[in-house]
Amino acid sequence: MSPTTTVRADVVIVGGGIAGLMCAFHLTEFGVRDIVVLDAGYPQGGASGRNGTLVRGGFSSPEWSSLFGHSLKRWQGFSRDIGHNVMFTERGYAVIAESDRTVAVCDEALESHRQAGVRSKALDNVGVRRILPNIAHDRVRACVYFDDGGTAPHHAVMKGLIAVCMKRGIVLRYHTPVTGIERSNGRATGVLVGEQRIEANAVVLAGGGHNLDLAAMAGVELDGVSQRIQAIATEPLRPIIDPAMALIDRATYLHQTARGEIMGGTEISEPHVQNVVSTLPVMAATAHHFVEMFPALASVRILRQWSGVIHVSTDCGPLLGAHPDLNGLWLSAGWLYGIAGAPAGGEFLAKAIATGEIDDRMAPFAVDRQRRGKGIVEKSLVIPD
Amino acid sequence: MRLHNANANRFSFRWDGRQIEAREGDSIAAALYAAGHRVLARSRKFHRPRGLSGSFVAGVLGRVDGWPHQRLDAVAALPGMDVRSQNAWPSANFDLLAATRLVPRAWLRGGFEHPNFLPSGTLRFALWEKLLRQVAGVAGAPDRAVYGAPIPGRRMAADVVVVGGGPAGRDEAARAAAMDQSVVLISRGDPPGALGRAGGRDLTPIAEGVEVLAGHECFALYRDGAMVCCAPRDGTGGAVVIDAGRLVLALGRRSFPPLVPGADLPGVMDVHAAVALAHDYGVAPGRQVAVLGLAAEATASHLATLGVTVVHRGPLEELRAIAGISEVSGIHLDHLVGCDAVVHAGPWRTDPVLPFQAGAEGVYRVLSNGPGSNVTMAGDAGLAPDPVSLGAGLNRRALVCPCMDVTVAEVLDLVAQGIDHVEEIKRLTACGMGPCQGVPCWDQLAATLAATSGRPVASFGNPTYRPPRAGLTLAQAAGLHGLVGS
Repeated sequence: MSPTTTVRADVVIVGGGIAGLMCAFHLTEFGVRDIVVLDAGYPQGGASGRNGTLVRGGFSSPEWSSLFGHSLKRWQGFSRDIGHNVMFTERGYAVIAESDRTVAVCDEALESHRQAGVRSKALDNVGVRRILPNIAHDRVRACVYFDDGGTAPHHAVMKGLIAVCMKRGIVLRYHTPVTGIERSNGRATGVLVGEQRIEANAVVLAGGGHNLDLAAMAGVELDGVSQRIQAIATEPLRPIIDPAMALIDRATYLHQTARGEIMGGTEISEPHVQNVVSTLPVMAATAHHFVEMFPALASVRILRQWSGVIHVSTDCGPLLGAHPDLNGLWLSAGWLYGIAGAPAGGEFLAKAIATGEIDDRMAPFAVDRQRRGKGIVEKSLVIPD
Repeated sequence: MRLHNANANRFSFRWDGRQIEAREGDSIAAALYAAGHRVLARSRKFHRPRGLSGSFVAGVLGRVDGWPHQRLDAVAALPGMDVRSQNAWPSANFDLLAATRLVPRAWLRGGFEHPNFLPSGTLRFALWEKLLRQVAGVAGAPDRAVYGAPIPGRRMAADVVVVGGGPAGRDEAARAAAMDQSVVLISRGDPPGALGRAGGRDLTPIAEGVEVLAGHECFALYRDGAMVCCAPRDGTGGAVVIDAGRLVLALGRRSFPPLVPGADLPGVMDVHAAVALAHDYGVAPGRQVAVLGLAAEATASHLATLGVTVVHRGPLEELRAIAGISEVSGIHLDHLVGCDAVVHAGPWRTDPVLPFQAGAEGVYRVLSNGPGSNVTMAGDAGLAPDPVSLGAGLNRRALVCPCMDVTVAEVLDLVAQGIDHVEEIKRLTACGMGPCQGVPCWDQLAATLAATSGRPVASFGNPTYRPPRAGLTLAQAAGLHGLVGS
């Protein structure tokens, strides 16, 4: 189908989730005005409406700690920055280790936090009992605790981002699948949506689980795979778990939402799956880990199970910046911890597009790092073995 | 009020600290209803009174011997039981938290967890969240006595799995068994076919050789219906996964409540709940009962034979609103008819969840392609659904989702902003995110959107009916770990 109408924009962002909207919002901070955001689905339909909402600034590698540490600082002031309550809450974030291997990861992380200036501490048995009175204490071998970590509920984040983007004149077009990405003379020049061509100086791919399809549309290679991730939520209860937490031996994360549901998931690798149907083995595994670590939850009923699709890079870090093989094509892709890193990712990418300046904290996450043998080793993630 | 068929053996249990008289065989909800306690729970946001309805699960959730969120209509009352109301202070009947209704509604669109009046500031929000978590949490944590470990599940295979223990399910099971096929019949009722029996039907005995899982809820279908999952409803036994050669959904049909103001009041119930009260427990749904709906005549006659006084019978199209403050006091037709209970009998619709899951697929949104070739609908479940009733017309005060306090007005305001996608409306209002998981609210939502737009109901569809369909405990789910590979 050849396009019959052409419109122009300064920047076209493909993907109206948290990554895309964060980039759009920050572009306006750098003075860019003419921005179009396209999304094939409905608001919050992708992983931005399905994620675990957990935010922490500290990891075991200096690269992650400096990007996500900055992101945490941005979350702390983000409601004020956009004039909408995104409900970011510093409930605390505990990383729990249950084996020699993960105890070593915790030690390494603490050292990295000291170097990167991330606020964290090791909790002893007494400390764990104080913040997590209901956990199975005999299983806990070590705990790294961030008292400024917490959650940013995606429904509030998306609602606030959509409102601020609309107020700033950004054109948001949901239910609008991109049908082609145009290139000429080694440059991305625009996108096609059905019969319409949108020409732009910069095209940003922030399509979450659909990034690989979008990259193929642009005719470029992209590291990583599409992966389905599943989660469950229980009936609401009055507070019994305060901090968010990662059970890194179990590839499990959970927290109790503001409305009382215990929400979380176990990550079981299901690469190359691109549908949002949920499965029994993952529900069973998640329940198993919840009950083993919190016997108090055994009789609590599961309200619902769901899944989302993400695009995750080989080293699980974001792919941020310009695509080396096609001028004018930018990426905010590959996110496993997308909600935690979203404000920093959006800010740095927008800065790069608007000013050409690559922030030091973004530079290690360059799109082609795997190809250059510069993958980042980060051990404190909740990822499947 | 007890009817002549009530069991004569009495005992007592405690409800919010008071002694309640029950009869042998009563469910907790039936005993409370008979004792005049109709308000058993409160809605999520505005603490509106809720009770036994057959339609909205939140009305019958309570804390039983330290175990929160138990279905009071499914748990048998036992001597000395300690039953408490949830989400209410000091009690369900006199709930001071209902003062939340004084908060301007515009502040609370989308729920307390997303207040529009706290625009920014992490510190102020942190304080609000502390309060919110206490109030929104609905129920206290389980008592130490109900802490536990995974309950081992089991996996089996069958040529044919039948869901539903009524007449159609029994026929299908018998037919398959006669062809020497292995058959498992799953029924919520214990014994199976409870609803049919209460309705006065003589059920044929279940054929020999059919393995019966009574008192089990079919909580999910995976792999296009080839993997059928069920678990004991009371949460005490292990879950069962069945690899099914063929699946028969003999689910019957339910009466869906009319979308009119007051349909959420205690005392409004579907025909199944009303007949079960009268037939199984000898409890009258009310002293003066109004019966409305497609099968009003037959239902009224049946209730009358059980000793219930019916003061009105007629179609739902005349119904403008149901009157009452904490329970039903009458129905507004073109005049007011006094009554203390309203029973609706039709429109009839099949519970949509399992048929949806039997064909669920999607990249951007889970939709149902309709059940696959190994899945058949049997009996009434296969009939086309009757349209949801809007009574005498769409009314802004009616509740689309009574558990989460979502009104027609709230939905129409979103439509006015250009938001008419059911998944978006669900996320912005929490419609259907309570314990009934969208049944019947998402059908009411689609009916509302259709009525206001003039477009067909089917064009709106529904949000994803996510598993598990009805409460499965973490211990039951954990017991399936390792039984099924990915």
